[in-house]
This record gives sequence, structure tokens and C-alpha cells, in this order.
Amino acid sequence: MTTRLPRLAALALAGALALTACGSGGGESGGDSDTLTFMFRGGADEKAAYQAAIDKFTEDTGVKVEMTVTDADQYATKLQAAVSGNKVPDVFYIEQANLQSYVASGVLLDITDQVEEAGVDLDNIWEYGVDSYRFDGTLQGTSEGRLYGLPKDVGPFAFGYNKTMLEANGIALPDPDVPLSFDEFRDITKQLTQDTDGDGALDQWGTGLNVQWNLQSMVWSNGGDFVNEDRTEVTVDTPEFAEALQYFADLTNVDGVTPNASEAATLDTYQRWMAGEIGFFPVGPWDVSVYNDLDFEYDLIPWPAGSTGESATWVGSLGIGVSATSGNPDAAVQLATYLSADPEAQQTLVDANIQIPNLKDVATEWATAADAKPANRQEFLDIVEDYGRAMPASFTYGAQWYDELWVNIQPVLDGKQTAADYLAEVQPKMQALLDESNTNAEMAGGGA
Amino acid sequence: MSHTASTTAPTAVPAAAADVPPPGGAGPTDAHRAKQAMRRLHRTEHRWAAAFIAAPVLGFLVFTLYPLGYALYASLTRWNGLTAPQFIGLENYTRLLGDPYFRQTLWNTAFYMIGIPIGLVLALLLAIALNRKIPGQTAFRTIYYVPVISSLAAIAIVWQFAYNGDFGLVNQVLDWFGVDGPNWLQNTATVKPAIIIMAVWKGLGYSMLLYLAAIQSVPRSLYEAASLDGANAYHRFRSITLPMVRPVTFFLVVTNVIAGSQIFTEINIMTPTGGPEFSSASIVYYIVRQAFRYQQMGYATAMSVVLGLIVFVVTLIQFRLNRRNSFSID
Repeated sequence: MTTRLPRLAALALAGALALTACGSGGGESGGDSDTLTFMFRGGADEKAAYQAAIDKFTEDTGVKVEMTVTDADQYATKLQAAVSGNKVPDVFYIEQANLQSYVASGVLLDITDQVEEAGVDLDNIWEYGVDSYRFDGTLQGTSEGRLYGLPKDVGPFAFGYNKTMLEANGIALPDPDVPLSFDEFRDITKQLTQDTDGDGALDQWGTGLNVQWNLQSMVWSNGGDFVNEDRTEVTVDTPEFAEALQYFADLTNVDGVTPNASEAATLDTYQRWMAGEIGFFPVGPWDVSVYNDLDFEYDLIPWPAGSTGESATWVGSLGIGVSATSGNPDAAVQLATYLSADPEAQQTLVDANIQIPNLKDVATEWATAADAKPANRQEFLDIVEDYGRAMPASFTYGAQWYDELWVNIQPVLDGKQTAADYLAEVQPKMQALLDESNTNAEMAGGGA
Repeated sequence: MSHTASTTAPTAVPAAAADVPPPGGAGPTDAHRAKQAMRRLHRTEHRWAAAFIAAPVLGFLVFTLYPLGYALYASLTRWNGLTAPQFIGLENYTRLLGDPYFRQTLWNTAFYMIGIPIGLVLALLLAIALNRKIPGQTAFRTIYYVPVISSLAAIAIVWQFAYNGDFGLVNQVLDWFGVDGPNWLQNTATVKPAIIIMAVWKGLGYSMLLYLAAIQSVPRSLYEAASLDGANAYHRFRSITLPMVRPVTFFLVVTNVIAGSQIFTEINIMTPTGGPEFSSASIVYYIVRQAFRYQQMGYATAMSVVLGLIVFVVTLIQFRLNRRNSFSID
């Protein structure tokens, strides 16, 4: 306690007046043996689904669970405040990118043995999901590391299209098994971009993508990447990368198949897609409950592929970790395991349309269900099992190097700077930040 | 500890006072005893005085000086906010000198200060206007004060809508005059002015209220004397009102500069990514981002220390300038 106080006070000072929002910490640390605290984030749908699953847990085990839920963008700050205040919740969501620092700080419990003893069949959970929370002291995301969490879910970022719009325009529906090439994708989107009511302004576009979430797919399928395999070198200055970014920017500036920057800023493309104005748009599992109620039919396809001819996209994941200082670690691990791997709990969460199943056998059944909507749910599973990758900064110590790429990218998207010029300019800056982050990782690892 | 001191004191002090011998009752033989009683009284009073002083002093030590000292130390460390800090000397400060975002956010923050003189001039004009007897005077005063008491977060969200390029209120109004407004918050050239306009609007009522109080306390006789001497309205404003409200102006400039250097909430809400090409990010926004998004607590603390120093020096200069220009009337 005595060493915590000054740090906490300095923490408050560091943020000057700005930190009023971070004052309230998480739940109490679990001194009470039959009450656990669980901190997570999400909207109303998610909260309701988790409440239902946890009520069942309490009914079965007699362990009461106190839930603290926050908005998505406040979660990291609140969790850190709880950690600094020595009030770590017993069970909490953990982001891939923060795992290493929380392990190094001794906040997360190593649950490898307890999960094994509990007889959890880890082979039946997505490998990517489980490995995301493994850390061997140097690399995260490999299958050898100790386990510091279980996946809450995996989030394959799929690509979808407005079936109603394509049919109305007499365009052949894309093959769910063969990805479109960049050229084919451009041609189709050009046909879709129209002024349907003849008032002189476009009101239907081929697509409308967000560089921060959609560029990865294009870069990877074009043979480029953000960082080398041992995460020491930033590789955004390759011709493959530049070509993909240029293609992305040209969709707006040269081909004109997306809303332009100011159109997109005023009503974002997400809203326009839901209004039926956009032909092709990404679909995540968390979107399904909303998209299923839209006025048009949609379905999933592989992402358009660049020079490699192979689709690529990212898979997100959020983990459930257990506090190393929990007063009741056994029950806490039991809760984490229950939420991640219990078939009944999974069914509750999947039925709420907020995620895809964590368990492979449940997922197969779910994908082939006759009333599946979207029909090609299998695409989600293909991404997780086959062609999805982790976000570039998921397994590095902090994401500052990666965020740097987006800060000054606007001139490229506006067509005022070429992709190659920009990438050559930003690479050294990103490299310096990645070096810094790797140094931090070493020092945190050594100092723990 | 301040709590116990303040609750026990009122009952204890009268009890100590009861030891004092009644005045006039002390003869020459009682002088020695009286002196002793006096000394006892002084001792108790001193003790209570010390207790009262201790409360704020201890508060200052625990909640200001200690964190400040710790922040100075933390700024010399590599620290992620979770593990123990590691001493690295001045590395954070050398890094800061070469950090383009630090310079840029410092510049952005300085740019926002343009709003201060604009706000003060408008507030003074408004105060003068509302000092006249016009119908609905109270209603107007209230209207201008409403933004001051409104939540800054709520205001920022409302203005974010107002600045929307397509259907925002600001561009709709401009459209009536045939002006095609920009997409305010997405444009490097307009995002800072947009935030300044909002900040001026938000702070107007507060400055106006202080000016109004200052104007009303100017003695009428000064104006009367000046009128008799043939001074017109401009002269009266220039030579009486303006100098008489100078202390308020000084107070507002100092507090506005200090508050302005910590501008954060409106930036964080209206431009969550720091604006196009980081053109709206303030220094505190950057500090918070480093501290809580990238867990660079040590580096963030170093920037806070530099910011604190800058604010301190600027305030010092303001006090010096004010002393040189100050005057008094008999």
C-alpha cells in the first residue's frame, strides 16, 4: 500500500486535470470466497447475454458474481486504474496487445495447470484464440507459451455484399469460394456506383472502406506485411505494400467507387451501408444481430485478393484473464473457463448473435444450420481456421508504432501524395517506435 | 487529520479561554500568577493554531508536494504504470526534444490561446451592454451564463453535431448567406478555429459576469466628474472603465492561460484521434494518449513536468508585467 500511494498520486498528476473520468476503479478485490468480481465491456446486447450466462453459473456453482461493465473505449483506462489502485477484479477481459505488460507486472495468473486439471479440451477451441493468450516470456501467440487467459471470443472480419442491390443491377453474385481479383472488384463496384434518382448527385456506391480496418486485407493478399516475423522490423516500405495502399486510395480518387472523404465523414459508410447505399462492406460477427434486421439481403464472401490470389483478413480476439491476487483463484478460473468453453454458456452467447462459437464442434453445427443468416456463415469459420491473421500490433508490446501509420495518411487517401512516397517517409518513424516498444518489453520482462 | 482538528476545536477553545483571570481582578501580588496563566493560555492557543495550520500544510505535503516530487522522479524513469519504475536519467527529456508530436501539440495548444483575447473583448462588450437598463436584462444574463454551467462533455458533443459538414447547424446557417461551409472538424485549416469558437462561446458567460461585477463597482462620481470635464463616451470607457476593470482582466488572463494550457475534454470528444494529421491534438491530449494508451507513464510525466514549467514561467511573466502596469487611486 505504501508504495502504491505515490505512484497513484503521480499517475493522477501525469494526466493533469483531464483524468476525472478515470477515478472510479473496478470491483473490490475478492476477499469474499463466494463472491467473484467480473469486469468486462460491451453494449446492451452483450450485457444481457452475459447476465444470462452468469446467472446460470451462479445457479450451478453457488458462486455469486458481481459484474462491472464499461463502454468499449473506457475499458482499458478503467482496468488500469483498478490495477493501480490494487483492486484488480477476479476475472476480467484482457486485450491481446496488453497481455505482455500485464503478465510482466504480475497482474495475470498463469492458469495453464488449472485449465488442464479442469479437463478443458483446448483442441476443441480455436487455436488462434487460445494461442493469443500464451506467452513464453519472449513471444506471444505461439503454441508453446504458458496460458494467461482464455479467448472470450474470436472475431473474424469478413466481407459481405448487398445481395438485393447486386440482383437489382443485374450483376452476377460473387462466388463464395473464389475471391474476386482487385480488377474484378473494381469493375463490379464501378457498375454499382450510380445516381439512382437522377438529381445529379451520386447516391449509390460500390463500396466504402475504412483504411484502418480494411487496408490489412489488401496488403496481405498482395504479399506485403506491416512487420517481419520476429516483430523487429517495420516492412511497410515494400512495393507490395505501396501497391495495395495505392489501390485502396485510388478506389476513391481515381475510380470514384466510394463516397468521397467529405461524404464519408458526414454520414459514415457504416450508416450508408445499413441504408442500402453501398454494395460491398465488411461484416464482423458482432454486426450480425444488427445487419439481420436490415431491409436488404446480404451474404458473405472472401475478401478481394491482390497479386497472391489468396484472400486475407484479420481475426480479432478478446481474452478472459484471472487476477493473480484473486482471493478465490479456483472459482475465478472456473468462471473464466465457463465463459470461454462451456457448451451451454456458448450457446447462450451465440444465440444472442454477438459472437461466433468458441467451440469447434458447436461452430460447425452453427454454420450449417438450415436457417443460417447470413447464409454463408461458413466464411467466418474459414477465416478463423484458414486465412485470418492477427492484427499487426496484437502481439507487440504496445501499438504506438502501428498507430503512427494512420496519423498522417490522409493526404494519400485524398490523392495528394503517392502511397510509395508516404510509406518511405513513415517507415523510419514507425521503426523508431517499434524499437522503443521492444526495448520497453525487454525492460518490463527483466524488471518483473 | 484535518477533519478531527476542525471538529474538536470549537468546543476546546472556549474552555481554554476560561482559564483567563477576569480583567482588573489581578492585584500586584497576583501578577506572577497572572503571567503564568497567560503563558498557559498562549501555549494552548499556540497548540490549536498549529493544529489549524497543520491541516492545510499536511494536505499540501501529502497531496501536492509529494506527488510533485514523485512526478519529478517518475519523469526520470521508464515506467508503464504497472511495474516498478526504472531510472533512466534524462532520457525522457532528450526524447521529448526530438519528438515532432510534442512540438506540434505544444504549438496547437498555444494556437488555442488566440481564443483568450477574443473572448475577453467580447465578454467586456457584453458586460457593458448588459449593464444598461434594457428590457429582459436578467434573461440575457442567464442565457449567456448557461453554457458555463453546462457539462463540457455534453457541449462538445452538441458542437460536434453543429460542425458536421453536411447537415450541421453551422453550415446550414452559412448556407443562408450563400457560403459553402467546410467540413470543420475534418480539415486541418478549420479544426482549430472551430474549437476556439466553441471555447469562446463556453467561457463567455463567466468572463462577462466578472466584468459586470467590476463595472458596477466603479464609483459613479468618476463618470460624473469626467462628463463635467467634457469627456465623451469613448473617453470615459478608455480612461475610467478600462483601467478600473484591469484587475479582473489580469485575473481572467492568468486563469484562462492556465486552463487553456490544459485543454483536453473538448479535443478528446470532438476529435478522438487528435484531428486530421494530429492538427487538433493538445499537449494534454498527447500526454494522456502516451500515458494510458501506450503505457508510457514516465515519458508522459516528463511532458507534464515541462508543461508545468512552461505554465509557471508564463504566469510569472504575467505577474511581472502586471506589477509594472498597476496603479492605485486614492
